[in-house]
Amino acid sequence: MLSYIVRRLLQSLVVLFIIIFITFSLPYLEPKGIYAPAYLALGSHATPLNLHLWAVAHGINRPFLVRFWEYLFNVFAHFNLGYSYQAGRPVWDILALYVPRTIWLALTSLILTCIIAIPLGIFQASRRNTVFDYSATGIAFVLYAMPSFLLCSLVLEYFGLHWPHLPVSPPAGVAPWLIFTDPGAFIMPIGCLTLLSVAGLSRFMRGTVLEVLVQDYIRTARAKGGSSRHVLFKHAFRNALGPIVTILGLSVPGLLGGAIVIETVFNYGGLGYETVNAALSGDVNVVLGITLLVSILTLLGNLLADIGLGIVNPRIRIEGTSR
Amino acid sequence: MTNPTLLEIERSAPVPMWRQRCRIFFSNRLALASVIFLVLIGALCYLVPLLHPTNQTDAAAALLTPQNANPSMAHWLGTNAAGFDELGRIFYGGEYSLTLGLLAGFITIVVGTIYGMIAGFFAGVTDTVMMRLLDALLSIPYFFFLITLISLFGRSTTFLILSIGLTGWWGNARIIRGDALLIRGLEYSQASTAMGASKWHIIRRHVFPNSISNIVTVATFSVADAILFLSALGFLGLGIQLPQTDWGTMLQDGTSQLQSANYWWEVYPLAVIFILVVVSINYIGDALRDAFEVRLVER
Repeated sequence: MLSYIVRRLLQSLVVLFIIIFITFSLPYLEPKGIYAPAYLALGSHATPLNLHLWAVAHGINRPFLVRFWEYLFNVFAHFNLGYSYQAGRPVWDILALYVPRTIWLALTSLILTCIIAIPLGIFQASRRNTVFDYSATGIAFVLYAMPSFLLCSLVLEYFGLHWPHLPVSPPAGVAPWLIFTDPGAFIMPIGCLTLLSVAGLSRFMRGTVLEVLVQDYIRTARAKGGSSRHVLFKHAFRNALGPIVTILGLSVPGLLGGAIVIETVFNYGGLGYETVNAALSGDVNVVLGITLLVSILTLLGNLLADIGLGIVNPRIRIEGTSR
Repeated sequence: MTNPTLLEIERSAPVPMWRQRCRIFFSNRLALASVIFLVLIGALCYLVPLLHPTNQTDAAAALLTPQNANPSMAHWLGTNAAGFDELGRIFYGGEYSLTLGLLAGFITIVVGTIYGMIAGFFAGVTDTVMMRLLDALLSIPYFFFLITLISLFGRSTTFLILSIGLTGWWGNARIIRGDALLIRGLEYSQASTAMGASKWHIIRRHVFPNSISNIVTVATFSVADAILFLSALGFLGLGIQLPQTDWGTMLQDGTSQLQSANYWWEVYPLAVIFILVVVSINYIGDALRDAFEVRLVER
């Protein structure tokens, strides 16, 4: 198991390097991309000469590889992600502010999604082609097809105008402990994000369990006299866990991507909200920093999923060590 | 008629595979309804702006018509905040949404298929390198990447298609690579290799035809995803620029007014059409997957 984890960690490091390379090179594909910090720092009235002087002074126009090396060195040796010329402070300060909030949003809804979607999918599969299955599938289909902002706007409108018992405004302030002092404000963003991910996951869960239910060992378990609940939870569920763990690991980028829209609709200051702001104003360092951080979170999610898979399914870790 | 003899089975012409699949697909009533609905909406979106043009581009002229007007005989679904006829605009915006979705979905499937086929078929070091690169791309949150791309390169129609298309193929490549890897190891591919077939021949004759079912299914979902991503970009204000429009931008314009006034005709008709279109595409994808499932083919 340990060598399996080490091997996966090393692979993740290689992948991380590629990610940094890709995100770092992106602005180079477009001339203003490199100079964007200069535009931000000097404003829209700066002359080309001033922009160039500023770029030289801040080492922006040095060769690509030199800057890439410096960026890598700063990130890994000093944990320094650069400076945001729009906000006028280090990128880390901005991240430290928003990361806890987004993690709180995404993690809570991930947990809620699992609690709701996994049993729902199992029940749909075990009672397939019943009214319950059809209606749940239908609702999931519609939610899946709905642009997330539309769902959020409609929810917001309903609770804002027609049934005003839930707070519609985002939590005041940005301190992470607001979760405990002002939990009501989190209900709607978390609820919407959960609803959207439940639609996808329950559909996937239903398919996976259905595939497991036609296997021979399920028939054997039934033939040996296992009760239907025993068969469903001991045999079907355990064997469907593998794909679910993988999909949960892979769902991290989707969840954070969904958070972009949700944060924007609910005005909930977080990573997604900040990304949109930074991307629109050309604050390259912030965009790079956030992308890097979210990619690391995704890698961690995949790593955890793979390790979880190794725990759930012994065949994988044994295969890994013998290779 | 009792069981046919072996001779009779040999003599009767085999039903072509595609016809069997078509029959399974169309025996699914909902799938048939989805196809009809999509064809209808597609025809309306492409033909109505041509046959019954309404002013959708001239903002100055639109100011002369009443804004946010209730549905009436002149404007069946009323007008929007800028004074454009809403029903005409649904079809006008649909033209862009559907075209962009189709083209972007097409790009994702072509690039994904080529990449996945190469990685899966050549296996070994090629596969390892290509899959690690894919892992890296998949770990960059798609939507963050898309926003960065569009904010860097602008949002012309062409670039929107390219950026959705060129960032959407990662998942497809992974699915198709799995297929290619599997088929390459099957007996008929190995037999072909043993008989001296070239790699290109095996890809063309065995790997590609046998993974076509997955490719078609994945392509369907890609189109639906592309339409959804375009709408999300429209919501963030990164969609198609005025005077053109797309469904996402229109929905955003409509919903942004819901808080202050109940202009329902600017949101709900389009929302219903939009959801039905995406549901239909996804449903067709599901039905195609069933039709291609060999275990369900009648023998």
